Amino acid sequence: MRGKFNQRQKAKALLIFSVLFLAAVAAAGVFLRDAAMVTDFSRKNIAPCLAYPFGTDWLGRNMFYRTLTGLSTSILIGITAAGVSAFMALLLGTAAATLGKKADSVISFFIDMVMGIPHILLLILISYACGKGLKGVIIGVALTHWTSLARLIRGEVMQLRQSEYILIAEKLGHSKFEIARKHMLPHLLPQFLVGLVLLFPHAILHESSITFLGFGLSAEQPAIGIILSESMKYLITGKWWLAVFPGMMLVLTVVLFDRGGSALRRILDPGSAHE
Amino acid sequence: MKLKKVTGFISALALAASLLVVPSVRVQAGAEDSSVVVTMPTTSEPESGFDPAYGWGAGEHVHEPLIQSTLVRTTKDLKIENDLATEYSCSDDKMTWTVKIRDDVKFTDGEPLTAQDVAFTYNTCRDESTVNDFTMLKEAVAVDDTTVEFHMNEPYSIWPYTMAIVGIVPEHAYSETYGQNPIGSGRYIMKQWDKGQQVIFEANPDYYGEEPKIKKLTVLFMEEDAALAAAMAGQVDVAHTAASYSDQEIEGYSLMRVDTVDNRGFNLPVTEPEEKDGIVYGNSLTSDVNVRRAINLAIDREEMIDNVLNGYGTVAYSVCDKMPWYNDQAVTEYDLDAAKALMDEAGWTEGKDGIREKDGEKAELTLMFSNGDSVRQALAEDTANQLRELGIDVKTEGVGWDTAYDRAQSEPLMWGWGAHTPMELYNIYHSMEETGLAQYSPYANETVDKYMDEALESDNLEESYELWKKAQWDGTTGITQDGDIPWIWLCNIDHLYFVRDGLAVADQKIHPHGHGWSIVNNIDEWEWE
Repeated sequence: MRGKFNQRQKAKALLIFSVLFLAAVAAAGVFLRDAAMVTDFSRKNIAPCLAYPFGTDWLGRNMFYRTLTGLSTSILIGITAAGVSAFMALLLGTAAATLGKKADSVISFFIDMVMGIPHILLLILISYACGKGLKGVIIGVALTHWTSLARLIRGEVMQLRQSEYILIAEKLGHSKFEIARKHMLPHLLPQFLVGLVLLFPHAILHESSITFLGFGLSAEQPAIGIILSESMKYLITGKWWLAVFPGMMLVLTVVLFDRGGSALRRILDPGSAHE
Repeated sequence: MKLKKVTGFISALALAASLLVVPSVRVQAGAEDSSVVVTMPTTSEPESGFDPAYGWGAGEHVHEPLIQSTLVRTTKDLKIENDLATEYSCSDDKMTWTVKIRDDVKFTDGEPLTAQDVAFTYNTCRDESTVNDFTMLKEAVAVDDTTVEFHMNEPYSIWPYTMAIVGIVPEHAYSETYGQNPIGSGRYIMKQWDKGQQVIFEANPDYYGEEPKIKKLTVLFMEEDAALAAAMAGQVDVAHTAASYSDQEIEGYSLMRVDTVDNRGFNLPVTEPEEKDGIVYGNSLTSDVNVRRAINLAIDREEMIDNVLNGYGTVAYSVCDKMPWYNDQAVTEYDLDAAKALMDEAGWTEGKDGIREKDGEKAELTLMFSNGDSVRQALAEDTANQLRELGIDVKTEGVGWDTAYDRAQSEPLMWGWGAHTPMELYNIYHSMEETGLAQYSPYANETVDKYMDEALESDNLEESYELWKKAQWDGTTGITQDGDIPWIWLCNIDHLYFVRDGLAVADQKIHPHGHGWSIVNNIDEWEWE
């Protein structure tokens, strides 16, 4: 059964919706940051209602604002960290594939080493060493997420180098840089972009996990991990809204990034572009 | 995508939700066999075991050591009474304390407790203890089997308060593993310790004092939410709890509140900012005494206690409210108008946005609290809200203890103090020799120092109380509102417990800082009705 729209149109719609939603959340969070920090003890522990759609916590903070700001922080950290990670991956992956055997084995060793250490442990170590806080989290997430993409790009470049049109270009006397720019980059770009987008959900979940564990931002900041870890203390007294809404919003954000990324791949990937 | 992590979050939620519907199984924990199950915070579990030299009873949180007996004890009104000691006295030059002890006391392994054991205990504490101060002790010497002499390095009139918390260990059975298998002469014997979970005590059948009424005490270490769940399930007799859970009704339990000197307050650095070895000492806003006085006036403590503690607290004006050495001149009523007038007088005038300014500098502070402590966070937030009324822009920040001490030298930090000894005043307000400033927040006042030194040199405890009071306010100078006011005190936090109906918890002494072992200080006097 085929619906009214073909796969490509559906993918486009999904992509646009994801981007709009995430951009809206990110922007809303930036504007609501001050409001999210306000404490007012005259309105503490209110269940969700029209004025406070996500309720308030034990300091009388508006959980709707707090959740949006927290997600926005997560998204911005995710974008920064994933961007840095993807750039590192591109650089190291290409270097491994083009600079010869020695460079390849050194870089491959680093990739294996970083992948060999449990992810969350490495994140905590790096973030702690960099003085925790926002800086620690960003550096931690950025330095731990490049490995699989770097490996992918390395393989891709190696395969490209052996392909006939590249070999011919070499024979024709084009410089290495020229070949990389003109013939390799256009081929790598879709892989790279999709890899970049698919890094976001990882980065966001890892950011919220280490904040949840208490190694990230300090406790007064609106961050989704902090909101969730605080809510655990009050669940037993029946304040379900402290965990449910922020948790659902986090899942929604991550799912949208994932779906958006997959849609992007379907559009860009030559294998599925015409379905 | 990391599906695992998402499911992790969701299952955590489900787990927490399942706690809400704990089946009400009634495990009758006590009643017939006169045993009691008590919960305590996980931080109360003694890391280095039940060894006084490593902080058991005589550490950051002081309490009676139960397993061991002490030379003296503090009474309900925090005076001193004899326990092992039959009499004690201080020499005229105040450098020697002589203590006579009972001759009929045996350790639980059958060996008699002699003055040698006492001397050994104190000398060990002096050499080993890193959590309590024993630097005033030069040497403890056993003169004969029942007499011990403490030779001091300096006069120390409040020595009896130290004697009230140091449990006497047996010299013949003391080794590095003593903390794991303690032997003492106290009211209880430690039977079993499952690290990270529980400790079981049984009454000492050969105890020299009154026979303990409760024969078996089980202490479970858990967080407050788990303690609440355990009480809801009827699995414990006494569950420690926090003000945020105080509105919970649990069938078969009632809420008990205990008066405390477990206070919260913040420091205001008194000196001008100055950097030394990478640490900044002092703060330009709070170095003005009028600003500090205005802040003290602008704090509405009653409102804060209602907001943050659901009313379960008492106002605090000093680190030692309700103690025999407390000077009630510290009382400062809330008066926002007077506070504003003081700020104007100090030259801090209100700007357009309601924040005060002086010479182009904004009145700003960062009030720190320790990450994860929801009560301190709430107190910091409420303080920030109240000081905004005064025109000071206060930001809050959660910090870890790894950086908090250094940063508190230049920014206010939300502290918790309170102990059964006037030494607390000395620790907070007395200047140190090396720096000329107090340890935790830059402050120095020669007159205050002098009164405290005199108090320590006094040969009579009761008389020394007067000197401790004068150190707080002597009519012209001190640390209260009319004096230098280098610390602002907010409230004493009531210690709250859910207690099973039918259990008569004996009257408690005012609890010091720490929501743990104090509750079982007099467990031997509890009763099932």
